[in-house]
Amino acid sequence: MTMLATEIVRTHADLLLEPHWAEIKSIIPEAADIATYWIRFVDSDEQEAFRFEPGQFNMLYLPGFGESAISISSDPQDHEKIGHTVRFVGNVTRAVSRLKVGDIVSLRGPFGSHWPMKEMEGKDVFIACGGIGLPPLRPALYHIIQNRDKYGKVTLLYGARTSGDLMFPKEYEDWRKAGIDVEVTVDRGDANWNGRVGVVPMWFYQFRIDPHKTTILTCGPEIMIRFVIFEAMARRVPLDRIYVSLERNMKCGQGSCGHCQLGPYFICKEGPVFRFDELQSFFNVEEF
Amino acid sequence: MRYDKADVSRELEKIPWFKEIERKHLQRISDISHLRHVRAGEILFREGDQEDYLYIVIEGRVALDIFIPHRGKIRIFTAEPWDLFGWSSVIPNIYQRTAGAVAVVDGLVVGIDSAKLREACDADHDLGYLVMRRLSNIVASRLLVTRLQLIDMFASPEDKNAK
Repeated sequence: MTMLATEIVRTHADLLLEPHWAEIKSIIPEAADIATYWIRFVDSDEQEAFRFEPGQFNMLYLPGFGESAISISSDPQDHEKIGHTVRFVGNVTRAVSRLKVGDIVSLRGPFGSHWPMKEMEGKDVFIACGGIGLPPLRPALYHIIQNRDKYGKVTLLYGARTSGDLMFPKEYEDWRKAGIDVEVTVDRGDANWNGRVGVVPMWFYQFRIDPHKTTILTCGPEIMIRFVIFEAMARRVPLDRIYVSLERNMKCGQGSCGHCQLGPYFICKEGPVFRFDELQSFFNVEEF
Repeated sequence: MRYDKADVSRELEKIPWFKEIERKHLQRISDISHLRHVRAGEILFREGDQEDYLYIVIEGRVALDIFIPHRGKIRIFTAEPWDLFGWSSVIPNIYQRTAGAVAVVDGLVVGIDSAKLREACDADHDLGYLVMRRLSNIVASRLLVTRLQLIDMFASPEDKNAK
């Protein structure tokens, strides 16, 4: 068939620019000002066709309020629904907090780079994350659990401000049973908290990390990431086996608008997951 | 359970830092140390107590807490195996505990007599240097932890719960 010159050729990029309507199926409160929204595309073909890699994000659009980049926190193999764990801190996400089950939102995506699931096969994996940094890593955990024999020792070291701020606590036991060493710490504990008190980077010394076969994944507050990298480097983990997921003011998801630029990179396009050797020269620059 | 000096030496030798020091120094510290089994909920010391021992966790977990009026006890740190706590007892110008310590699970700790450790460090400056260098590392690590707790790194600029 001959294509007319004027005929629009739909590309993958076009699809990423086009909003797709989706319905909120359930809302699970996770912590103060944080909830997971389980969403299905209204068009069942779109739902069936949707695929993402662990670490990627969607642009969630609310008419009249705008768009916000939200990482996908669900199982990549679950084609029935998509989970987005949202922290209510900006105009869009505060509007999201007022939505109810059955409401319609719009999604574009998935966008961005992903955790190196293939490259980590045969290696130990050490995941160090804090606060809202766990949701973008949960798909990676699900992937590892479903392919457990492909990975070596897997450790999740997760920190939050208090025990009430821990994400997905009901899943920790399942993850442990699936062969993941789950270690949790809080910044402040009350008299009823019998777990660890302290910050994520300081607990590195408690784990035997073999620098020759371990890949580090980290996500959370940038100040935490900085010290996680410091501890990983102190243990001689090569910089090209440290992966960081960054959060910036992402607007277009295409690397076009420049809002999320970090040095030569657009976080929404080249990121959010970076290998640290690519980031190192920009990472510790004040006000960058 | 009663422990003898050989038990104390054996437990100290398992701690990486003690593998780096001379035999005579290990023996000196062992001579002024005792092993103590602790049960979950057992209080090792309270805020305001007189300083007596520097502790090292061998097994279990010990929480340090500070009592805040109208809020109760806040846990500020937990010590895990090979962690040291009660270090201020070795510093000569602090005379009382600045936090309480409670075992949160059953465990085993080594208690080192602080006054005798200070005397040993004064009498043998090589030992004193090793002990103070180790304590400096501990204090630097605690300072970093305290800074990260103080800045409330999980808060966002708009977070109403931020400190």
